[in-house]
Amino acid sequence: MSTTEAMSVGYQNRAATRKSMNILRNWALPLLLVLLFVISALLVPNFSELTTIRAIFLQTALIGICAVGMTALTLSGNLFSLGVTPTVILGAMVYVWVGEASKSMWIAAAVTIVAVLVTGVVQGFIVSLGLNAVIVTLAVGAVIYGVTALVTKGALVEPSEKVDLAGFATFAIFGIPLPVIVFVVFTAVAWLLTQHTLIGRKIFLLGANKSAAEISGISPRATTVWAFILMSFGFGIAAVLASAQIHSVQADQLPALTLDTVAAVLVGGCAVSGGDGSPIKSAIGALFIATVAQIMVLLSVPDGLKQLVLGIVVVALVVILHVLRKAGSR
Amino acid sequence: MSDVGRWFQKYLLQFVVLAIVIASMYALYPNFHVETSIERIMPLGVVAAGLAVTMIAGEFDLSIASMAAFSGALTIWLSPIGLIPALLIAIVVGTLLGMVQGWAIARLGISSLVFTIGTLILFRGLTWVVTSGVSIRVSDVKSTDVFRVDILKFLSPLSLTGIVIFILLGIFLAYTRWGREIYALGGARNEAIAAGVRYKRGMMVAFGISGGLGAVGGGMTSALNGSASPTAFGSLLLGALAVVLVGGISLSGGRGTMVNVFLGFAIIAILSAGLAGMGAKAFVAELFTGVLLLVVLLFDYLIRTLSERDRKKRLKKVAISTA
Repeated sequence: MSTTEAMSVGYQNRAATRKSMNILRNWALPLLLVLLFVISALLVPNFSELTTIRAIFLQTALIGICAVGMTALTLSGNLFSLGVTPTVILGAMVYVWVGEASKSMWIAAAVTIVAVLVTGVVQGFIVSLGLNAVIVTLAVGAVIYGVTALVTKGALVEPSEKVDLAGFATFAIFGIPLPVIVFVVFTAVAWLLTQHTLIGRKIFLLGANKSAAEISGISPRATTVWAFILMSFGFGIAAVLASAQIHSVQADQLPALTLDTVAAVLVGGCAVSGGDGSPIKSAIGALFIATVAQIMVLLSVPDGLKQLVLGIVVVALVVILHVLRKAGSR
Repeated sequence: MSDVGRWFQKYLLQFVVLAIVIASMYALYPNFHVETSIERIMPLGVVAAGLAVTMIAGEFDLSIASMAAFSGALTIWLSPIGLIPALLIAIVVGTLLGMVQGWAIARLGISSLVFTIGTLILFRGLTWVVTSGVSIRVSDVKSTDVFRVDILKFLSPLSLTGIVIFILLGIFLAYTRWGREIYALGGARNEAIAAGVRYKRGMMVAFGISGGLGAVGGGMTSALNGSASPTAFGSLLLGALAVVLVGGISLSGGRGTMVNVFLGFAIIAILSAGLAGMGAKAFVAELFTGVLLLVVLLFDYLIRTLSERDRKKRLKKVAISTA
């Protein structure tokens, strides 16, 4: 065998490994999820009951909508947001206030989404100056939390008896609750937006290679702001659904939402360096985290252990996905 | 210019801000005491110093607040063997966990932001397990008295430890080989590695220090209060970040000293003492820290763009005069 032939065989082998690594990376989480469902259905009492599945999906809907939104930010190379909870709580409060004033849940929902979009645009502008998104969102999150706590004085914000704002949470089609439907539709729309539209392509390219994106005429500033807009749109929808669901809102609520959302995006397999990932992956990541949490509820695992297991799952999956990605790109 | 003059010029901005802050505090509260305000939140300074080391190394330790909560819980949990041995064990455990983090980050070549947000959740989980989800207290309340004796009138063991840590860490970073290597890895990583700096060791040292100092901050706070809660230190990361950035540590790595961190800490400490003096609630402090952080970020951005513009203008002038 000549040297060139040996080289080409070696190259083909490497290409084959690379391909299988990438297949493994893309299908690792869905497979794990199916495995988790099968094992739990066999071993965990009450797991296969309709109420459990419903609870898992309702839980997934909130985390998932936030995670799918945040995927746009991660894809654009701007890491992740540490201000999910305060933003969603602010939106939830706006929903109650406007709903109370206008007596219409539709107007309330529209105003809520616009209000949350405004916070996103502001943060997008700050980050697009070239500042670190994690730090900016942490700081803005602290400001939003401070303002909501200050305005409400830490008290509950709840609609009066006369106004019904729970419609978005109680409505169901064929027994499927509206939040779950919204989650699925939002994921599909986000997938279409990121994969098949100009702005989605720009976000991908900016995250994959910033200087190449700049040279090919993509404005990093405008694209970053767009990524923030897409993310905030998700947060706005999540805020409406959360508010309709929990009825009375308080500044200290949903403390775990930020980390659950970030965990869903990371476990889903988005590259934090940007340019690699998909809203569908993040949605599956959210489903995975909600399923693990629900299984532990059924097994009546104490709160502490639940947190620990979640932490171990996140660290382990992030490391495995990272190793597979490295092996696949070599 | 003399060395002392140059030293002051380097930290001019921070000194000016500090002077303004102190002056306005004395104007607002005639019986204000600078030293007591620093004393009360010394753990924040220690934790910020740890965060600063990872930032100088060009990385970021998001898990440091969870580490503080975990070490606090561990200290109280182990307190039946004596509070001081328990604290020492917690610090050793924190340092070791930090070193493992540093090793994993270097070995895997993973972004420290990603890895440490995973360990942020993990350490918080460990805290919940150790405290079994409730606030725990030391059985012997008098045992915390060791931390309340006065040394030299106004120094408590806590603030003395904090100051010693600042001095030792400053010397370590500025004058030892391992310390200089951390700067090299943060400032120009590829060049440093090419020149023979050991990347894995540098990361283990940097994250070992941040883990250890997170443990010192959390452990000492809990030891002093004689209690630990699973949800403690929720806004510590924000506070530490504010200290580090107000002090003038560069976000891009390789720049900044312990003097920066200490000045930043003094500014934040006095401001928060002022807020507490007004009877402001915790969320007001958080709001304030958030605004301050944004102002510092934007200020830093302005200075960077202006100096860049200035540099370009000068380059153009040179180009014209040589043409």
